[in-house]
Amino acid sequence: MNTVTQTYLRFPIARRIEHWIMMLSFTLLGLTGIPQKFSTSNISISIIQGLGGIEVLRTIHHTAAVVLLLGSAWHLLVMGYSVFVLRDKMSMLPSIQDAKDGLQALAYNIGFVKTYPQMGRYTFEEKMEYWAFVWGTAVMTMTGFLMWNPITATRYLPGEFVPAAKAAHGGEAVLAVLAIIIWHMYGVHIKRQNKAMFNGTQTEQEMLHEHPLELADIKAGVADRRPDAATLRKRQMIYYPIAAILTIAMLGGIYGFVNAEQTALKTIPPISQSVEATATAAP
Amino acid sequence: MHQRIQIRPPRIWTLQRRIVPTVFLFLGLALLIFALAAFASPAQAASTYQKDKPTNDFCLACHQQEGVDVKLGSESLPVTINPTEFGLSVHSEEGIACVDCHKDISDYPHPTVKAKSKHDFSSTMVNTCKECHADQFTKVQDSVHQKAMEAGKTNAPLCTDCHNPHTQARLIGKESGKLTIAARRHIAETCAQCHKETYEQFKKSVHGAALADGNTDVPTCTDCHGVHNIQDPTAASFHNNTPALCAKCHTDKKIMDKYGISTNVLNSYVADFHGTTVTLFQKEFPGQETNKAVCTDCHGVHDISKVDNPNTGIALRENLLVKCQRCHPDATANFSAAWMSHYEPSPQHYAIVYYVNLFYKFFIPAVLGGMIFFILTDIYRRTINRMKKGAKHS
Repeated sequence: MNTVTQTYLRFPIARRIEHWIMMLSFTLLGLTGIPQKFSTSNISISIIQGLGGIEVLRTIHHTAAVVLLLGSAWHLLVMGYSVFVLRDKMSMLPSIQDAKDGLQALAYNIGFVKTYPQMGRYTFEEKMEYWAFVWGTAVMTMTGFLMWNPITATRYLPGEFVPAAKAAHGGEAVLAVLAIIIWHMYGVHIKRQNKAMFNGTQTEQEMLHEHPLELADIKAGVADRRPDAATLRKRQMIYYPIAAILTIAMLGGIYGFVNAEQTALKTIPPISQSVEATATAAP
Repeated sequence: MHQRIQIRPPRIWTLQRRIVPTVFLFLGLALLIFALAAFASPAQAASTYQKDKPTNDFCLACHQQEGVDVKLGSESLPVTINPTEFGLSVHSEEGIACVDCHKDISDYPHPTVKAKSKHDFSSTMVNTCKECHADQFTKVQDSVHQKAMEAGKTNAPLCTDCHNPHTQARLIGKESGKLTIAARRHIAETCAQCHKETYEQFKKSVHGAALADGNTDVPTCTDCHGVHNIQDPTAASFHNNTPALCAKCHTDKKIMDKYGISTNVLNSYVADFHGTTVTLFQKEFPGQETNKAVCTDCHGVHDISKVDNPNTGIALRENLLVKCQRCHPDATANFSAAWMSHYEPSPQHYAIVYYVNLFYKFFIPAVLGGMIFFILTDIYRRTINRMKKGAKHS
């Protein structure tokens, strides 16, 4: 086995499916959301018309939002399992080292230092994107709730929060879409052709370049040390009921998100009281 | 040498003096006989119609008598024409003769009118209007009034119901080419003949009151509804087109500045949920119904009042909330403030919205700029490395 054929599993199939679902919903959200923000531009009008009109567009947007929320809920459950049951290293948590790595990478690019930083399972670029996604999802969920359920929201909040939510939702959307196009495209598809989300693996050479510290841990046998069967069983017995309650709570939350209120009448109210014309004589 | 010549009238002159009166006498007699013959036989008169159509004075000799009417079925049609009123009409001014429209009449007794009602009679007469007013006539074919007529509503108006041909004054100024002020002021009253209730509402509205004061900036019925091709105002296309309709005047700085009204009303509306949806519907599916509010849903249709009117003005939250609740029945007081009342967010109005926008105005370029900068340095380093590697290999 050489460094090109030797591969390491980076993302098991479940995580890849999760990624694809999130990617699909994110794309749909962007595709149906951005034209709403710039609704007077001709490109937007073509997109909206192409997708069947603004009402259809909003339905797609709402559906994709629910998929994103379900995906986020699933992700929380998986993370819970990883942290509480498997006691994996919380390799995605940001640290001072990430800031240092970022600065060192920049200094290296400019030519101030000779070496590129050596990083672990997740590079500072990946962490940045992950947490930006978390932040973005949180902002979009909260502001989206305000717009989806303005009557419920204004029972507790000033009315001004609704247009403010709309402003933030739109601003955050532009940021998210452009950040993905610029940062994710460059980092994952241009700088290197990272196929880990397609086939789940990276070669030893890729690992050496991108995640040398993780590779070292794997070689040293200290990465992903699984608990023994008995401990695993014990922790699962504790986690599963908690996860079940969490699941019910989160699904309930999403259900409430969608069905908190009927904002507006679906019927078309008469524009004005219809006044019958009365007859008069011809001259 | 010089002989005096006596000037004498030639013989023929003296002869003429005797002949001319004789000729006149004969001519006069002939005319009298002819006239008598003409009265006695209508057929003979019709054949000479083109030459000798009766003058208006001739008709008015009888028709100015008060209280003359014609029985049409169970109805009676007054046929009295006031010569003074007719004299002031545009048709008289243009020298139109009675018989230009009343083609079947050329003498007395008139042919029997076959129409069974006044409406029936008018509907036969409108074809005459068409001869000179073809454009207007064609437009009417497209109108809601025509559709009502086709649906069998006999009270739907014909040309003559709005334009009494015997009294209709000039509408379009000869020099200005525009509707005269007098004509504008009269329009609402014309519509009021049938749309009384609407007229009463309009009269009290901000537009109607100003119109009565002679203000020419405000719209009258036809400015929103059109003139001859009046469309169904309850149709989806009319609803969807309402913002554009109001915007015609309300985005015109020349008019709005006089009254201190913002011209940002359309943009601020389009930027919000209702406006975005309605605008998209108007552009993409103009005929498809949407229940999203347009101008008239909050401001009123014919009864539009000033927004700061203490009783009905929607600048007052409680008045606005009533409007919100028509479509959002569960809305509470705060909800109405979710609509920014056509304000452009500023530190004074809708400050949170203003600062959120301001934040993203800087945050987006800062984040993306940082990313792009890092990527550029990365591309730079990779290019340098590749060149060095290439140099080493060669």
